[in-house]
Amino acid sequence: MQDKTIIQVEHLEKKYGDTEVLKEIDGTVKSGQVICVIGPSGAGKSTFLRCLNLLERPTSGQVLFEGTDLVSLKESAVMNLRERMGMVFQNFNLFPNMTVLENLKLAPVRVKHLSDGEAVKKAQELLDRVGLGEKADAYPASLSGGQQQRVAIARALAMDPEVMLFDEPTSALDPEMVGEVLQVMQELANEGMTMVVVTHEMGFAKEVADEVWFMADGYIQERNEPNAFFADPQTQRAQDFISKIIGA
Amino acid sequence: MRVKGLFNKIAQSVLIAAVTLLFLGGLATTGHAADDSLKTVEDKGTLVVATSPDYPPYEFQATVHGKSKVIGMDMDVMKKVAKDLGVKLEIKSMNFDSLLVAIQTGKADVAVGGINPTAERRQSVDFSDIYYLGGQSFLINKTDAGKYKNRSDLKGLKIGAQTGTLQYNLAKQKIPGAQVKGMDKSTDLVLALKTHKIDALGIETPSAEAYVKNDKSLAMINSGYKLDKNEVGAAIAAKKGSDALINAMNKSVATINKDNLTDQYLADAGKYMKVNTQNTTMWHYSNYFVTGVEYTLLISAVSVVIGVLLGTLLALMRFSKNKLLHGLAVAYIEFVRGTPLMVQVMFVYFGIGIIVNIPALLSGIIAVSLNSGAYVAEIIRSGIDSVAKGQTEAASSLGLSKGDTMRFVILPQAIRNIWPALGNEFISLIKESSIVSIIGVTDLIYQTNIVRADTYRGVMPIFITMLIYFVITFLLTRVLNHYEGKMKHAR
Ligand SMILES: Nc1ncnc2c1ncn2[C@@H]1O[C@H](COP(=O)(O)OP(=O)(O)O)[C@@H](O)[C@H]1O
Ligand SMILES: [Mg+2]
Repeated sequence: MQDKTIIQVEHLEKKYGDTEVLKEIDGTVKSGQVICVIGPSGAGKSTFLRCLNLLERPTSGQVLFEGTDLVSLKESAVMNLRERMGMVFQNFNLFPNMTVLENLKLAPVRVKHLSDGEAVKKAQELLDRVGLGEKADAYPASLSGGQQQRVAIARALAMDPEVMLFDEPTSALDPEMVGEVLQVMQELANEGMTMVVVTHEMGFAKEVADEVWFMADGYIQERNEPNAFFADPQTQRAQDFISKIIGA
Repeated sequence: MRVKGLFNKIAQSVLIAAVTLLFLGGLATTGHAADDSLKTVEDKGTLVVATSPDYPPYEFQATVHGKSKVIGMDMDVMKKVAKDLGVKLEIKSMNFDSLLVAIQTGKADVAVGGINPTAERRQSVDFSDIYYLGGQSFLINKTDAGKYKNRSDLKGLKIGAQTGTLQYNLAKQKIPGAQVKGMDKSTDLVLALKTHKIDALGIETPSAEAYVKNDKSLAMINSGYKLDKNEVGAAIAAKKGSDALINAMNKSVATINKDNLTDQYLADAGKYMKVNTQNTTMWHYSNYFVTGVEYTLLISAVSVVIGVLLGTLLALMRFSKNKLLHGLAVAYIEFVRGTPLMVQVMFVYFGIGIIVNIPALLSGIIAVSLNSGAYVAEIIRSGIDSVAKGQTEAASSLGLSKGDTMRFVILPQAIRNIWPALGNEFISLIKESSIVSIIGVTDLIYQTNIVRADTYRGVMPIFITMLIYFVITFLLTRVLNHYEGKMKHAR
């Protein structure tokens, strides 16, 4: 299993007008792998992640998802594959007009055509799993940030994705809530979920990641197994970055 | 007589331009047929007459055998004409300003309403011979009867007259130093007189007589104007080129003139006016207000529903990537927002009416709905814009289709955000729907004016109507707030 390629990125470029945000990115995510993408703000980490499920359309290059090049597909075809890649956002993006349960049910019912009963059952299991079984009927606004983010993770999981993409899932949280979210993510990783995580939580990266990709200036400057990366960064940019983080 | 100029001219130019466009577009059949005006009326067996029944004793609404009917001298004239032609008479009520447009656009065969066959007017319609010569008078307060005995006593005073009428022009030209105050309705002018905002009111003799008979505080003096009878006489108007119909009607007019039938007609009208004014309590007229409220609510309710559906569709079209759909929606919204509702109402009724005959009520509903749709579209667009971008991204990351995203995620949040603005739109729609009264839809405003003309009471009906509008909008506001509260809960 460990060897099956889920996502393969080749010569990925993204420009906004004249600004080149991503330059020549290559990379492979294999089944069960946890990749942590780190780097300074503005490096292009979010853009990279959003190109993986084509929330942003790359300017050129290929994004192969289980062998299919998403870039060459029409939007309608992309939509069918996108549901198989769960995404968790920095700002949770729960639907405020729905209860927690409804948030979890919507896509399974509308997209996967699960019956209401099946969807409820699944939603309840997932909520129990992220420790929010009692909050099914609450509205997102009544939850803390940490709880909202756990609901968001459960909502993405409800579609049985093959890979989960996280874009700084703890950056908008009060410090005391970071732990509960990271714990859910760690459990997910332990269960073998394939994950690409943009994060500033170096502890998490060290402990959970199989590989750390260091991004700066639109390039992946360096990628390595985490202990090696943090102990012995190869590039000047990575050294600066790590010393700044540890210094802070 | 009622020679309203300004508004009618504007409305007519707009409509005639619109009608010309329709013709140019080849939408209407072309080719000038021979004069079949009389034959048409005979073939269908009815003579459709347009009139504005707020002008006693010429035409007004009264309760006859428990039913509200349009009666008056003009109606008796038309009954005689129809009888002589051997056809039934059908009366279509509408605003005075709309009468001539109605015959030009075929909404009615003829129009009456104390219309003067002026030279200017003769350019756009044909007239029968004059069936009645009214004469001009001034209405004054009885307390002033000692001071004002004839026209020369009115020098330098404040004189009221209906805007754009003959009386208005005469007062300006023939009373030295007079300050002439124009208003739209004679009921308002009489009120102004009674409250001493004006000193005298230029008005036609029969109307003046009616007011004096029904209001003990008023008196009248003769104007002493020397006038061309085309400026003061009343004639029946018909579409240009209806010589056959005009000639046939002139036979009846000749009998009316020879036998002085209008004296009898005026006397009959006077009787009903007495009946009418015996009981001028507003309670006596509650039926009128109830009917008015029913129509106002009907028009508003239907228009809100259609307006919201149309507005949503237009808003979605605006967001469409399809350039044609987008362009259509933008053009529609800009155009509708850039033109007055009044003109739209008249265009639907008269303009579109040339191709398909749409009844007044339906025309009113269509125009108000189409208008509201444009405003609702803009509100919904702002609502959709107000929903955070992350919501769309989250929905599409879950594989939801665009349609589902709109339906389950964006629109519910948009509606919550724009609910107060939508509420405002509903409320202003209820108020603005009153404009349909100009094409004769018996909404609250139309009924109010009937009651005012009937009772000779200027303020009370307005006050009642104001209260009714307030109660309606107040209740609606409570209902809307209730739902707003509910939606907040779900936040
Ligand atoms: N929609 C956009 N239009 C123009 N520039 C953008 C857009 N999105 C991101 N950028 C730019 O791309 C660069 C990378 O942004 P981002 O991927 O968000 O970086 P990171 O997530 O690493 O902080 C930034 O300089 C940002 O200003
Ligand atoms: Mg980012």
